[in-house]
Amino acid sequence: MNVGYLVRELYYQKRRTLTAILGLSIGIALLIILNALSMAYRQAAHAPLKEIGADITVQRPGDVPKDLAGAVFPCSAVTIRKEEVEKIRSLPGIKGMGKAVLLWVFDSKQAWIVLGIEQNNTIGPAILRSAVTEGRFLDGGKSEALVEVAYARQFGIRVGETISVNGSRFPVVGLLDASRAAKIAVANLYLPLADAEGLAVSSKNLQSVSPFAPGDVNLLFLKADQEKITDLAASLKGILGKKATVATPDSFLKLLGSLFALSDKFTLAASLIAILVAVLIAFKTMAGNISERAREIGVLKAVGWTNRNVVAQLLSEAVIQCFLAGLLGLLIALVVTFGLSFMKVNIPIPWDMAPNPHFLPGGGDQIYKTLRLPVHIPWTLASFGVLLSIIIGGLTGALLGRHIAKIKPSEVLRHE
Amino acid sequence: MSKSTILSGEQLSKKYGSLEVVKGVSISVDAGEFVCLVGKSGCGKTTLLSLLSGLERPTKGDVVLNGKKINGASEDELALFRRENVGFIFQSFNLIPTLSAWENVALPLFPIKMTAEERRRRATELLNQMEMGHRMDHLPSALSGGEKQRVAIARALVNRPKIIFADEPTGNLDSATGDAIMDILNRLHSKEGVAILMVTHEVELAKTAERLVRMHDGEVIS
Repeated sequence: MNVGYLVRELYYQKRRTLTAILGLSIGIALLIILNALSMAYRQAAHAPLKEIGADITVQRPGDVPKDLAGAVFPCSAVTIRKEEVEKIRSLPGIKGMGKAVLLWVFDSKQAWIVLGIEQNNTIGPAILRSAVTEGRFLDGGKSEALVEVAYARQFGIRVGETISVNGSRFPVVGLLDASRAAKIAVANLYLPLADAEGLAVSSKNLQSVSPFAPGDVNLLFLKADQEKITDLAASLKGILGKKATVATPDSFLKLLGSLFALSDKFTLAASLIAILVAVLIAFKTMAGNISERAREIGVLKAVGWTNRNVVAQLLSEAVIQCFLAGLLGLLIALVVTFGLSFMKVNIPIPWDMAPNPHFLPGGGDQIYKTLRLPVHIPWTLASFGVLLSIIIGGLTGALLGRHIAKIKPSEVLRHE
Repeated sequence: MSKSTILSGEQLSKKYGSLEVVKGVSISVDAGEFVCLVGKSGCGKTTLLSLLSGLERPTKGDVVLNGKKINGASEDELALFRRENVGFIFQSFNLIPTLSAWENVALPLFPIKMTAEERRRRATELLNQMEMGHRMDHLPSALSGGEKQRVAIARALVNRPKIIFADEPTGNLDSATGDAIMDILNRLHSKEGVAILMVTHEVELAKTAERLVRMHDGEVIS
């Protein structure tokens, strides 16, 4: 391979070179953008669960007492027994677990959405520790309460006051604003898990439709091995029944409904088409270029270049062109994904994961988690795009080079 | 074959399908000899030149170039053999359009392990001999026909060949430029002692050679 010859060929044959580079770079850019978008939607679908430090949430639908008085479970989240919780904990692929008890408490003056949480567990609603706007978070082992800031404002509740919930009294130690932090597993009153369990155990109304014992819960937050999430979802339904609500990033993806979010198959098919288009463009352009150079190849062979010399020269030209195309494709993809990163995506939260009673004003409204599409190009995808274009260049150059190198100089050098 | 014979072709035939273009031709060129192959267009001169230079394989017969029988050699062996023993001058110059004059001259040296300086030195030396030293870095598109052919002659000489095959080297040039090119070829032959086998249909040009070989309808007639 002669570098000077290579550089001059690419430089002086600008039309040829630019056509090949532009054609292939569009294919490579398309490939990178499609995959970056697909990853972005997947990442976005993770957001509602990630906010509460989980990969999976589990709840079991059931019945609501006819008389909505005192503490009751929402119909979307009834008792998960202690034994079931332990079975779930031992499933292969479970890396951690957070428990919670969600209650609707209807007092004579007001309705509470109560969430009993494990104060020191980073999996689950305790992650809202950072959302405290006034006072402090719940301490371990104390019966105390945190109130959602908007709810506190509505009912004039202040830090330091004591509130009464279904006959139990709790000092308010802090206010928190969960609205920007999370959309699921939020409430307007946060209690230690044991106190929420106590409210549930002592509620005859609740026990009449969904027997509940100490150690039972009605919300589970699971950290899991990413590779095993799909299998785990099936196992969880095996333990809790087919009607159990098992929310995974995939279930949010399905709700998104985007083509990119629908399936891996779409992204794979689109990527394959992009690669195929890129290969065809590269092959067609280079085939055209090389056939234009038949006479030149004939000269090279006549003056003593072997087939190997010719193939090496054409191969190196193709590889360099495709490498440049890969870089340009990456640059195009970076610009496009930067633009796309300003796009907002609304992830619908399923009604059964929304804590609000649907019969209260605004309770039936669809809740969305809105975020900027987290689209970016990881270095692995960028490297893959550039590497792929080099491989395309290598294969195209080798294939076309071998073909054209078979040319007989006498056939192309006969004077006109 | 005599001791001084650099090239010989014995009973060479070339058929394209049923069309026999060269018919049992025997020819030899001695070292340092200037031989002209003349005949009308289409009589098989260029095909015979291709057979003798190893650009094409004969259907029948043998070619011995510089003591080596070349018609059984592989494509790559032939290319290497041409690189070491043969120079070519074509009617349409066949310069690489993207390479400068000196790079075109150095083209046969590119696959050889050699420093860029050495390649340039050898090309410069030859271009100076061709009075083209001032046009070394010009692209072929910036050269006249005569200048292009001088570059092509320098390229034919860069590998220090035993024999140069010239196919209508003045065919694309006006008569004055053609004469100048013939002067260069004659000088190469007389001073450098390079054997030349030149194909032409112009009998006047052929008269400058030491020996004339006439072809007609694929056969040598004298």
